[in-house]
Amino acid sequence: MRIHFERTGGFAGMSMATTFDLDDLPEDEADHLKSLLDDLDFDDLPEKIVSSPSGADRFSYTIAIENKKGRRAVETTDSAAPEKLRGLINLLNQMSRTRRM
Amino acid sequence: MLGEIIAKGSDNQRSRAMQTLSLSEQARGQRRALTDISHMLTAMSASAEKTRTIYDAREGTTLPGTLVRKEGDPPVADPAANEAYDGCGFTYDLYKNFFGRNSLDGNGMHIDSTVHYQKGYDNAFWDGKQMVYGDGDEDLPEAQRLFNRFTISVDIIGHELTHGITQYEANLAYFAQSGALNESMSDVFGSLVKQYQRGQSAAEADWIIGEGLFTSNVKGVGIRSMKAPGTAYDDPVIGKDPQPGHMKDYVSTTQDNGGVHINSGIPNHAFYVAALEIGGNAWEKAGQVWYIALRDNLKGTSDFQDAANQTFLIAGQKFGVGSLEQKAVAKGWAEVGITAVSVPVTPPVTNGGSGCLTAVFRGLGLLRNG
Repeated sequence: MRIHFERTGGFAGMSMATTFDLDDLPEDEADHLKSLLDDLDFDDLPEKIVSSPSGADRFSYTIAIENKKGRRAVETTDSAAPEKLRGLINLLNQMSRTRRM
Repeated sequence: MLGEIIAKGSDNQRSRAMQTLSLSEQARGQRRALTDISHMLTAMSASAEKTRTIYDAREGTTLPGTLVRKEGDPPVADPAANEAYDGCGFTYDLYKNFFGRNSLDGNGMHIDSTVHYQKGYDNAFWDGKQMVYGDGDEDLPEAQRLFNRFTISVDIIGHELTHGITQYEANLAYFAQSGALNESMSDVFGSLVKQYQRGQSAAEADWIIGEGLFTSNVKGVGIRSMKAPGTAYDDPVIGKDPQPGHMKDYVSTTQDNGGVHINSGIPNHAFYVAALEIGGNAWEKAGQVWYIALRDNLKGTSDFQDAANQTFLIAGQKFGVGSLEQKAVAKGWAEVGITAVSVPVTPPVTNGGSGCLTAVFRGLGLLRNG
């Protein structure tokens, strides 16, 4: 399974994109991701989770999962992401930031 | 005089005066009239002063967090809190001293900021009610850090506060061209705050947004350049500054709400050219024109062409048709590939007595029923 994580917007308006292949990740990270995805029912999430526009310079995210079943993507923002999606966003964000070199 | 009649006259006199005031104000824009009256009322009531409050989220996400510095308090130990406090002060002062604006809503609203939001939060934002600042990459090993804390540059603070002002005024919708214009307004006035703080003319300013935000690990001078969009950074890790400086390079994308931080380079550069052409301090004339556009002329769906037309119109109204200032504004937009055209003054929306101006008078008890 591959997870593609993209973060755009923010004050600096930069794009940060990373693709993680779960087979290549350390076991604990891969397991953590898998359990978050299971808890989320990722397949059942709507494609776009955005709130009515208020505020500025917030981050936007796209999380795309590719597995044997195909590809599913969810787009959301810092202000709209539901609590249960936050855990996954925070982890993927942290993993992307630390691998950015 | 009409104001006097409205305040003290009989019902008949009032309604006639209001009609006259209304009609004459329509020619200058209903919003402007409302603002003038609002300022008058503020001057009559409490004196226009800033009220800043700084909160600390202590690396969490609950807002606003713990109060750490309120208006009038001496500096605290935390540099981020002091930078937020001072930056809000400079921004408030610029708007009040040069644009006659009393805080974000024009009515002295409290200015709230939260610092130390989350851990390793490489961002700052306006949440609709307050500013929020992260500490950058403080959680990463030094060699990997790209961002310092986001209160480090005063233009970032001015940028965020201006989002608040835009929300109360033109309320430019935060996507595509209107969103890029929204972003540009924040960069323009953010830069003016920095220039005002440093006492710099348009020619002396560096026109860089977010100078000092990058660590020494990044190959770049800042986040954006109004003088030369697309040149602020070119780095192996974060990539190259994606901003265009001309309409022919407009970026069509679904990222970043349709590229609002990317295409802002175009109106940013138009302002830079106009300000440089006019000379002197950028906030005095170019800044005036842009401020009036934001306050009175632009609306939620305005695009770059609208901004060009309205700033051209305003420059003609303030400095004269064919004046150096108006020509400079036209030149600014021409340099980014937009031809400013003369447009008629747009009358405000009037819906038979339920408009803004009427609501104010009703609220003041100056109208009977109706």
